[in-house]
Amino acid sequence: MIENTRLTRRRIGLLVIAAVAVLGVVASPYRTDIRNLFTVGFFNTALTLAVPITLAGVGGLYSEKSGVINIGIEGLLIAAAFTSVLVTGTTVSTVGADNAVWLGLLAAVVVSTLGALLFGVICIRYKADQIIAGLAIWFVFLGLAPFFSRVYWGQINSPTVATFDQIAIPVLSEIPWLGTLLFTNYPTTYLMLIIVPVAWYVLKFTSFGMWVRASGEHPEALDTAGISVNRVRYASIMISGALSGIGGAAMTLSTVGQFIGQGQTIVNGRGFIGIVAYLMGNYNPIGTFGAAALFAGLDALQVRLQQIGFDIAPELFGAIPYMAVIVVLVFFGYTRIPDRAGENYESGDD
Amino acid sequence: MSDAGPKLPDRAKRILGRLVDASARERILISFASLALALVVGAILLLASGAFATCGSPFLVFGGIEFCYNPIEVYRVMLNGAIGSPYSIGLTLRETTLLILAGVAVAVTFQAGIFNIGTQGQFVVGGLAGAALVQYTADILPANAVGGILLFVLGLAAAGVAGALYGALPGVLLAYYDANEVITTIMLNFIATAVAFTTVRSFLREGAAVQTALVPDYAVPPSIVFPEASSFSVLIFIPTLLIAFGAHYMLKNSPLGYNIRLSGEQPAAAKYSGVDAKRVIVRTFTLSGLIGGLTGGVFVFMVLGYWQPSVPQVGFDGITVSVLAANNPLGVIPAAALFGVIKSGAIALDLQLGVPRQLAGVLRGIIILFVAMPEFMRMIGRKFGLGETSATPAQERVTEENDD
Repeated sequence: MIENTRLTRRRIGLLVIAAVAVLGVVASPYRTDIRNLFTVGFFNTALTLAVPITLAGVGGLYSEKSGVINIGIEGLLIAAAFTSVLVTGTTVSTVGADNAVWLGLLAAVVVSTLGALLFGVICIRYKADQIIAGLAIWFVFLGLAPFFSRVYWGQINSPTVATFDQIAIPVLSEIPWLGTLLFTNYPTTYLMLIIVPVAWYVLKFTSFGMWVRASGEHPEALDTAGISVNRVRYASIMISGALSGIGGAAMTLSTVGQFIGQGQTIVNGRGFIGIVAYLMGNYNPIGTFGAAALFAGLDALQVRLQQIGFDIAPELFGAIPYMAVIVVLVFFGYTRIPDRAGENYESGDD
Repeated sequence: MSDAGPKLPDRAKRILGRLVDASARERILISFASLALALVVGAILLLASGAFATCGSPFLVFGGIEFCYNPIEVYRVMLNGAIGSPYSIGLTLRETTLLILAGVAVAVTFQAGIFNIGTQGQFVVGGLAGAALVQYTADILPANAVGGILLFVLGLAAAGVAGALYGALPGVLLAYYDANEVITTIMLNFIATAVAFTTVRSFLREGAAVQTALVPDYAVPPSIVFPEASSFSVLIFIPTLLIAFGAHYMLKNSPLGYNIRLSGEQPAAAKYSGVDAKRVIVRTFTLSGLIGGLTGGVFVFMVLGYWQPSVPQVGFDGITVSVLAANNPLGVIPAAALFGVIKSGAIALDLQLGVPRQLAGVLRGIIILFVAMPEFMRMIGRKFGLGETSATPAQERVTEENDD
């Protein structure tokens, strides 16, 4: 019965979203304006903005599937965003801009993965409550990044650094519309486009994916089969760290070119939006991407509306993705989380 | 709630319940040890980060690396800056006042097993409501002591009501729509900031800066005992302490308090004894929001004197304070005082040594990190021979719970 209620609520949710979209387009008195709004450039921007949310979501999904709810992803994104700018900025004079951005990306992945490992040790080795530990990881990096910014740059926001260039893939980028949308992108966007299907395939069809799922649903079974539950969980948590690393670097190195340490930093809640994305995507990496694209689309819309001169309070418009997250949670919040997520597993062996 | 409660709270309830199980003495030990360890880790970070800073006279040159920050000197300056003079004590107590309120707001919900991160948003909305009320009614009320008191009371009431309503929202979303409160409250924090900014910019702004009108002098609570420059009023501090005592008494003795604790400590028992979980969730959230909103009101009247969109993360600090106090409203008082020393010390640190005041934010995270790891603390405790906690009750409970 509950299953039914949930299903109904999800269906209603999808219907509402579809209805709002259709109504918005059909009934609008600004139909030509809307056509101007949804250009291919808009969708391309949305795709770029979806990268950190998607990767944070897919990473968080792996962690939670394995039984460890990772609320700390926001913190890992912050760590990655900061590190990418720091490393790119300091290496650019020796290795050149083209290499420095890749070094920045690599360093972001390393630092974020180490941060995730720390989270894993706290949760698994020291049996911390996962939610509090996740909050702690978020707060630690929310504190460290602006602190180090001021130590290193003397100011809370970094100076601008070199960024990735968009790469047009030969031939494919010539395709009308699709070529601009999919085949003229930043390297981090391509990485996301590759990672999403791979993550889906791995989770669904490989034995590692099966271990991850079992670790969150029936850890005893996995244990009996001779696979270390905690090792699988460590691996999943570190995957969430590595993906957050790319996501965090995508924010700074693909678009903004700067680390912003003010308020809640440049990351501004995207880690938490990623968590909602995988809940809405029902723990499916491809669904997660879809949900992330929806949130990113709202973000892009808000930017685009300002570009074409809609005179509406930009800050309020900027809050639309956050409002959408709450609406989505109301309709999709009741996803079935893995049975044993949030619990520590103790093998009978030790 | 039909047959299945919201998923996270149930889990949270068990865990928070477990924390309560640890003896009070152990919890106090864990808190002090966490604070001490956070300071040690902070010292190491300071030493290391000093190697990357640029300064005129490094305190230590080792292997060609110049270390700018001397951790001992840093902590000495912080302590001195926090309690070295009546003025600095006033500043520290000012921070402490805000931290007690924010800490109690968080503690009430954490006691119920609800992970409410939304105090920050309620602080923002409350402050905004208080400042807006001042702006709209200051001209109507007489410009004397009576008018001042009226303005103050009305302003704080507006702040409390706004905070309570804004706090009730995630409560309703959790109780009736199963929307995870960690996420909704964090989103509401962002929305609060955006709404506050837009409101001030479009409706309340008077000059060029995006900020509200000044609270008139006669409505600012007078600073007795402490120098006026420290913007601290004992007349606010005492009621703040009373709120902490009141929250403690409410949790211990009132029906709502009993239900809150029961929901937090033994959710199953709460369900079977007929506690209306939905109602407890909404009421707890509303109460917490009320106190969170008051924090914003106090910030406007006593600390800043007006409202502007970029405000300190008092609500987040409240989480550290509450966790440090084991979510006990009375424990919040000393925890807030300790964290208040860190916060006001960090400002002195910035001004005197040029070490970023963001150090307080770093310590805020590390403290929670250590408190979150009771197992780690017990391990350290055993190493140092404080072995009476060797049989870890928490562990047994976990295995028990795994069976259901």
